Amino acid sequence: MAQYDVIIIGAGPAGMTAAIYAARADMNVLMLDKLAPGGQIINTNEIQNYPGVGTVNGAELAYRMFEHTQEFGNIAFDYRTVKEIRDDGKEKTVICEEEDKTFTGKAIIIATGTRPRCLNVTGEDRYRGNGISWCAICDGAQYRDRDVVVIGGGNSAVEESIFLAGIVKSLTIVTMLELTADPIACDRLRAMNNVKIHIFQEILEFQGDGKLNGVRFKSTGTGEEQVVECDGVFEYIGLIPTTEFLADSGVLNQMGYVEVDEKMQTRVAGIYGAGDCITKNLRQVVTACADGAIAAQEASHYVQNLE
Amino acid sequence: MIKEVNSEEFKGLCGTGLVLADFFSTTCGPCKMLGFVLKDVEKEFGDLTILKIDFDLNKELTAEYGVTGYPTLVLLKDGTEVGRLQGLQQKPVIVRMIQDNQ
Repeated sequence: MAQYDVIIIGAGPAGMTAAIYAARADMNVLMLDKLAPGGQIINTNEIQNYPGVGTVNGAELAYRMFEHTQEFGNIAFDYRTVKEIRDDGKEKTVICEEEDKTFTGKAIIIATGTRPRCLNVTGEDRYRGNGISWCAICDGAQYRDRDVVVIGGGNSAVEESIFLAGIVKSLTIVTMLELTADPIACDRLRAMNNVKIHIFQEILEFQGDGKLNGVRFKSTGTGEEQVVECDGVFEYIGLIPTTEFLADSGVLNQMGYVEVDEKMQTRVAGIYGAGDCITKNLRQVVTACADGAIAAQEASHYVQNLE
Repeated sequence: MIKEVNSEEFKGLCGTGLVLADFFSTTCGPCKMLGFVLKDVEKEFGDLTILKIDFDLNKELTAEYGVTGYPTLVLLKDGTEVGRLQGLQQKPVIVRMIQDNQ
């Protein structure tokens, strides 16, 4: 007999919404996360496009969502890193890294999200967390009146650069392509007088003498190399799905994202996907929540039909 | 006990037993969520003191401990540093660091 009706792996907006919908469908729910509730939104200073709450801090929204899940008596939460899922038909087993702890459930919702991509160039490991950061709202304040480099040209890179440029002395954006963020955000960044932008550049090395002091890069067009001196670097070069533990499960596509249909159903009966880790175009809090609601509704129907 | 303290209070409390110092920034989401995790860490131990230090208000203390990013946890045993973790951490990792130094 399975311990839980639905096990949700990942407690970001998709997982927490799935938990609320499954609980309201009278399912006995277990929600697992290796860190804390929230997922990627805890790294976002301001969320301005989640309806009904105006501008909200990401961690604040995460807290509110978690408190909402705890209004129900049938949602358990535990800190676990899942390393494997075993499908035995009507019962599925989730195996965790911590002492090989296992949980059994009738249905599983995978909502493990994504994490920041790294460059893997010289110096990145040496200065990781000590000069190189992936979170401007965490570490930006310590670069007040100093020089920083932001790597990337998408929405995250440009939006976080706008935030950082208000704090630092100078900000240099270095990106592999053009700026690809929303035009309004790009224009706002370009108008800031302490911002320089280098496009079509490949990062070669993070330099320093025990303390990070510069970034070396070269033009992808001319091959010309240059070094920008700086005290800190922020990387925003995209995301990768946190789905390695599903490598042999048959639910991933070649890029490592969970493949689902319009019902959030994977190729395996009783296993659903939701949020940033699934194949889709728009990865936002509101779409993650929508995925979670659909996945939970379908998982609940699946569990009810098993009985 | 989890308590937010200033530099002076910190120095008065950090010299005896196991003290987990949580250097945080009020603008930092991972810091907020680490606070969430620390509430559950505290439940695992009977006599652990967790002191939260706002880096904006205590810059000298932050520099003294060489804190360069947020959140940073520094574990002190009778005033001497015995462990350090930077960034939002998994609860089992924090628990293990404390258990290894009890």
